[in-house]
Amino acid sequence: MDRLLEILSYEFVRNALVAGILASVLCGLVGTFVVVKRLVFISGGISHAAFGGLGMCYFLGLNPTLGAVAVAVLCAVTLGLADSEHVESRDAMIGVLWAVGMAVGIIFIHLTPGYAPNLMTYLFGNILTVSRGDLIMSLALDGAVVSIVVLFFKEFVAIAFDETFAAVQGIPVRALLTLLLVLIALSVVVLIQVVGIVLVIALLTIPPLIGLMLVRDFVGVLLASIGVGLAITLVGLCLSYVYDVPSGPAIVLLGALLMAVVYLAQKVRRASVRVLPDGPRA
Amino acid sequence: MTALQPLIELDDVTFGYGRDVVLSQVNLKIYPRDYLAVIGPNGGGKTTLIKIVLGLLHPWSGHVVYHVPRARGKLGYVPQHFTFDKSFPLRVADVVLTGKLGSRGLVRRYTQQDRRDVRAVLERLRLTHLEHVPIAELSGGQLQRVLIARALVSEPAILFLDEPTSSIDAESREILRQLLAELNERIPIVTITHDLTSLLPVVKHIACVNRQLFYHDGAEIPEETLERVYGCPVEVIAHGVPHRVLPEHRG
Repeated sequence: MDRLLEILSYEFVRNALVAGILASVLCGLVGTFVVVKRLVFISGGISHAAFGGLGMCYFLGLNPTLGAVAVAVLCAVTLGLADSEHVESRDAMIGVLWAVGMAVGIIFIHLTPGYAPNLMTYLFGNILTVSRGDLIMSLALDGAVVSIVVLFFKEFVAIAFDETFAAVQGIPVRALLTLLLVLIALSVVVLIQVVGIVLVIALLTIPPLIGLMLVRDFVGVLLASIGVGLAITLVGLCLSYVYDVPSGPAIVLLGALLMAVVYLAQKVRRASVRVLPDGPRA
Repeated sequence: MTALQPLIELDDVTFGYGRDVVLSQVNLKIYPRDYLAVIGPNGGGKTTLIKIVLGLLHPWSGHVVYHVPRARGKLGYVPQHFTFDKSFPLRVADVVLTGKLGSRGLVRRYTQQDRRDVRAVLERLRLTHLEHVPIAELSGGQLQRVLIARALVSEPAILFLDEPTSSIDAESREILRQLLAELNERIPIVTITHDLTSLLPVVKHIACVNRQLFYHDGAEIPEETLERVYGCPVEVIAHGVPHRVLPEHRG
C-alpha cells in the first residue's frame, strides 16, 4: 500500500493513469462502432497516416499532436467523402494513405536537426512520457468525441446496423459516416499516446470484441468495452512498471490474453449447456 | 380496377452502374391498395428498380413522380435479410425502434410514444414475446417479421419488400403471406419475389423486370413473357386458366 502511494506521488505516473482512463473511454465508445461497422482497416490507415502530420510538425517545431490531429481528420474526411463513384478501390486508397503517411513522418523526423526523437515512442507509445499539455489535449478530444457520439447515438447505431434502411428514412448517411470517421481520427490521436501508432488498432478492437462476447445489446457492449479497456490499460500499466517492459505492448498482450480466456470460458460454458437436452425427459 | 390515381409513377426511367444500363426506359404505376409482384432473373434490375422508387438511386433519365407524401418514414422498406450483419448486438425492440428514425429527426431522442408504437406493432405481428431477445437468436422467419415491424412502425403509406420469403421455413412463409394480405387491405405492397406461385392468389399486378419492364394484371402473365424475361422456357404453374398470350406488351 505504501509502495502504491509512493508510485502515485510521481506526477508522470498520475498522468499515465489519467491518459489510460481517457484512452479507455474512447476505445470502448468508438471502438465498438469500428468493430461492428467493420472500419478496422480504415482506422489503421488513418492512424498511420497521422504519423505524417506528427513528423511534419515535429520538424517545424510545432506541437506534434496538433499535426497528427490535422492529418488524421483530413484523411477521415477524404475517405468518408470518397464513394465508389469517384474511387475505383477505396481499399487501395487506404493502403496508399497508410504508407505515404508513414514515409512522410519518418523523413521529417530524420531531417529534424539535433537530437532525433525516439521513433519507437511514436510507433509503440510510451504512456509514461505523457505530459500535462498532452493530457489537456486528450481531455478536450475525449470531451468532443463523447458528446458527439451521445448527440448522434441513435443515428450512428442505425447506420452501423443497416445503412440502406437509414437512408430510406432520410438520414444523411454519408455525412454521418464521415463524422464517425472523424471521431475515429480524433480517438486515434488520443490512443497513440498510450500505445503508439502501430498498436492503436489493438485498443480499438480488443475491448469491443470482448464486449461483444459478453453482452448482446449495444449500450451494454459499449459499457463493457469501456470497462475492459480500463482494466487492461490500468493492469497493463502496473505490469509494465513492475516487470519493466514497454507499456503499449504490455497493455495489448494483456488484452489479447483476456480475449482468449473469455473465448475459451464461453466455449466451455456452451459445451456444458449443450449437454443438457440429452438428459432424462419429464 | 377502376381508373385510380397512381401513388407513384415511373416515367421513362433509365438507370445503370458505370457504363452498364441496368434499367432501360421503364414505366410503372403503383396504385392505392395495389399488390405488385416484381419478378425477373437475378441481375435483371429488380432491387435497382425498388431503390430508384425509394429515392436511394437517381435515374440517368426519366422521372419518378410521387403522389404520396414523401415525408420521412412514409416509404416502408424491408431489405433482403442477408444485407446486414445478423450478429449485430441489438434486441428486437431496438431494431424496430430504428423505424422511427426518420420521423423523429436528427439528434432528437426516441420518445415514450415511439416505444409505445414499437410495442403496439410487435403485438400486431405477434412478436411481443420476442421484444427483448437479441436478433442473433431469431430464426429467419422471425427476423423477417421484425424487419417488417421496423418498416411498419412509422405507419408507411406504401410498403416495399425485397424477397421477404426467401430462405425461411414454410410456416413462417404462410404467416408472412397472411400478414401481407392483411396489410394490403390498407396500404399498397410492392414485393420482389422468386416465389410467385404462392403469391398468385393475392397479387394484383406483376412487373417482369429484365432491363425492360413488362407489366401485367394479376392472373394474366403469359408464358411468352416469362420466356422473354428469363431468356429460357419457364414452367408456369398456378395460373388456374389456360395461359393467354397477349398480342404485345404494354410498356
